[in-house]
Amino acid sequence: MNWTSLLRSLPRDLRETVAGDIEEESAALRARRGRIYAEAWAWCEAARLAAVFRIERFTHRRDVPPIGEELRRRTNISDAIRQDVAFSIRLLRRQPGFTAVALLALALGIGANTAIFGVVDAVLWRPLPFSNADRIVSLAEQRPREGRWFGPVSPADFYDWRSQTTSFAAMAAYEDAFVNMTGSGEPERIRGLLATPGFFDVLGMQPALGRDFRADQETVGRHRSVLLTDAFWRRRFGSDASVVGKTIAFDGNSYEVVGVLPAAFWWPTHPDAIVPLAMDAHDRALRAAHFLEVTARLKPGVAPQQAHEELAVLGQRLAKDFPAENGRHFPNTRPMRAALVGDARTALLVLLGAVGFVMLIACANVATLLLARAAGRQKELSVRKAVGASRGRMIQQMLTESVMLAVVGGLLGVLIGSWGLAGLRAIVPAQFESLPGIDGLGLDLRILAAAFSLTLITGMVFGAAPAIVASDDRLSAALNEESRGSSGTVRTQRVRSALVIAELALSLVLLTGAALLLVSFARLSNVTPGFRSEQLVIARLQIPSTRYGDHPRTVAFYQELYARLRAVPGVVRVGATSAPPFSGVDARLDLTIERRSDDLASPVRAHPRLVSTEYFYTMGIPLLRGRGFSDMDGAAVKKVVILNDAAVRRYWRGQDPIGQRVSLGAPDDWMEVVGIVGDVKHSGLDVEIEPEAYIPHRQGFTSLGTGFARAMSIVIRTTSDTASTAAALLAVVHGIDPLQPLGIVRSMDDMIAASVAPQRLNLVLVSAFAVVALVLTAAGLYGVMSYLVTQRTREIGVRMALGATRGQVVGLVIRQAGKMTLVGIVCGVVGALLVTRSMTSLLFGISAANPLVYAGVTVLLALVAMAAVAVPSTRATRVDPLIALRDA
Amino acid sequence: MSAIEPLGEFEQVVLLAILRLDNDAYAVTIRDEICAHTGRDVSRGSVYITLDRLETKGYLKSWFGDPTPERGGRAKRYYALRPRAVEALRENRRALVSLWRGIEEKLA
Repeated sequence: MNWTSLLRSLPRDLRETVAGDIEEESAALRARRGRIYAEAWAWCEAARLAAVFRIERFTHRRDVPPIGEELRRRTNISDAIRQDVAFSIRLLRRQPGFTAVALLALALGIGANTAIFGVVDAVLWRPLPFSNADRIVSLAEQRPREGRWFGPVSPADFYDWRSQTTSFAAMAAYEDAFVNMTGSGEPERIRGLLATPGFFDVLGMQPALGRDFRADQETVGRHRSVLLTDAFWRRRFGSDASVVGKTIAFDGNSYEVVGVLPAAFWWPTHPDAIVPLAMDAHDRALRAAHFLEVTARLKPGVAPQQAHEELAVLGQRLAKDFPAENGRHFPNTRPMRAALVGDARTALLVLLGAVGFVMLIACANVATLLLARAAGRQKELSVRKAVGASRGRMIQQMLTESVMLAVVGGLLGVLIGSWGLAGLRAIVPAQFESLPGIDGLGLDLRILAAAFSLTLITGMVFGAAPAIVASDDRLSAALNEESRGSSGTVRTQRVRSALVIAELALSLVLLTGAALLLVSFARLSNVTPGFRSEQLVIARLQIPSTRYGDHPRTVAFYQELYARLRAVPGVVRVGATSAPPFSGVDARLDLTIERRSDDLASPVRAHPRLVSTEYFYTMGIPLLRGRGFSDMDGAAVKKVVILNDAAVRRYWRGQDPIGQRVSLGAPDDWMEVVGIVGDVKHSGLDVEIEPEAYIPHRQGFTSLGTGFARAMSIVIRTTSDTASTAAALLAVVHGIDPLQPLGIVRSMDDMIAASVAPQRLNLVLVSAFAVVALVLTAAGLYGVMSYLVTQRTREIGVRMALGATRGQVVGLVIRQAGKMTLVGIVCGVVGALLVTRSMTSLLFGISAANPLVYAGVTVLLALVAMAAVAVPSTRATRVDPLIALRDA
Repeated sequence: MSAIEPLGEFEQVVLLAILRLDNDAYAVTIRDEICAHTGRDVSRGSVYITLDRLETKGYLKSWFGDPTPERGGRAKRYYALRPRAVEALRENRRALVSLWRGIEEKLA
């Protein structure tokens, strides 16, 4: 860059001459004082000249106030707008306090809205990353009697649905899986997706390299193919295209890489590799085990409702054909997006509502400020009217001002919004990583367009009332009166009061929402999980069937692991379970109680958990009755089971189940109940506890397939930290089997914290918005009350001259503010009762109409309102009657 | 441009400097001339703005000289007075001299 670039603000015809002059003088200086001095001088001189010309331009050429321009009969609209804009800028600069407060309110409002809109748009409204995504539906099984509407599907149902319906162009089942990948580098536990051939026809996607699965690959034996995702292919194979056709080892078996998916492929679980979901004839016929997710693409011309009805008819027929297995559940459909977004939808819409309220409060705030200022400008307005300005022209000018404010506020808001989005992206809880659109969160044209529209609408909305009021003939008379010392006509004052009342009411609604979330989060955090979570470290292991094919070998591996781990310094106890709490791993099976189940009305089901002998001691789960497991509970002896308290409460209702026999998933495979343990929160602190059945790992369990016993989570109670425990665990595992990878090692406290992360994020965001709302409202109330006190100076002076005490004067101001606050609170409580009903699904252990919360919030708002009025009311007492009367 | 507007003080100073410089009046020499005679450090900006304003008012005409290497190949912009300017200066001097008359002893 050269200093000549600074001269751009000079008139074009002068630029070259001035540059020549500076160059000439700089050459003379160079000879006397050296090159650096001369160059620095030239820069300074150019900068100074640029500044001088900019000021000159601003003060003499363009700075013609639009007062009376009608007399000049100018017809050029763009000129008028340009003048209005320049005039507005000057006005805003002249009142930096007003401008700063208004801009801050707008920037916060628009910024918060931009950020939240960005998230909501990405998740709820932007097209899903599939071709014709609105034709994709998610199919599920509903159990109306249990109140479950979208449950997993049994294999037999899936194959029936696929072969006996005509509404779908393609239908596929899928299931998440972790696989151990060995060969070519370190063994690694990778995230896989098992999907039936046809899955990519549903998504409308083809591999970028190689081919899709063939239809016959859903048969066991022909299924040894794998499609790699783009990211995994780049990371693990360095984008080597020749990997197609080669084989890689998953869980000890060879799979042929048949293709690589395009980079655009997206799936909520972010899998590394996709493998055909293949089942043998036995598994295909399973009707009682529900573990598949199903998705389908509608045929062209078929409406979602038609497809739903066709499935419903089929469901009725299956219920008739298989009353025992299919009598209680029926097919259900919903759009793919609804399946992907799930519960997050409510939370997102509540957030959007909260920021919408912040925006309304900001608008009301700026409108009160503008109204107050319009009163101070009545002289200018009457001069303009006197020289012939039309009412429309004056409204245009005032709207230009508010839109200017909004535009500057909007620019700042977009800046705040982009920070907000980046911040949100950084703190997205793991549960939200699976939402569509979260990966690419950031400012884009859609969000900018939304922010821009919001800005313009905002400018119009908060500018309109002041503009109309100030330009009204009758009202301008009112404004005249105001400047002489009364507090305005009834109408202007009503507009102002109404705005402040609206702010108070909106704040109260937001505060109530935040308080409800706060109380609910506090209650949630106080829930005890049913075990001691501190100093507990967890890691998932899945040993392959190739090396650990039969049950004794699996048990031997784990026994060896426990023994070696116990010898590690710091390790207090070691246990293992097939499904640890807060891990998301779960299954449900029909529970049969010997000579009992028939008389139980509700479906009798329980969650199976394989556990090691030491599991209960390691976790700190209390044994309530009977005995725990011992090393004697093996495969060879009588089969035993331990139930949780919830199972006993639900199915035995106070009677003692110990000694009775139950079976789980497999009729006639009886196990004797030997003990009862305390309830454990498994799926989340806010989820009701379901019946659980603990089975000794040594004994084995085949209702869910033989692989069930090979995937276990190791639980370690330790005195050292997670990192060193993880290192020790990895060393021990590799000591036993160098090819065995280890899943992520986490502390139980982290897992519990992560399980409530969405609630925490919700709470933090809604509270932040509520605080902003409270501050804006306090500022609005303060502004209006100080203005009223200033306007009533004469009246207060007269009262004091007639003997009113300071207390009476303060009372006068407080009464006026108190009236507004009271009306605002009443409106707010009614609004909150209506609005917070939509939050019910986000609350835990508290009703949306909790009277204590409402009382607390009301007191808080009243206190803040009184604090905002304190300064103006004390100022009123300092009115000197003599000065007040003289100035009036 | 019928009536002759009264000149500002700095405008007079600039016009006089141009008159003194004959055919070598451009921004750099004009400023040097003013500094040399008044002892004031005049800003370049005010010189440029005044020259521009005087030209707009019709007191000055300007033309470009040849580009020179010490100016980075840029041309000088020379200024000269139009008859209006000479007339305005005369009128100013007349008014000042008339005002000065008879007050010399009061200032002594």
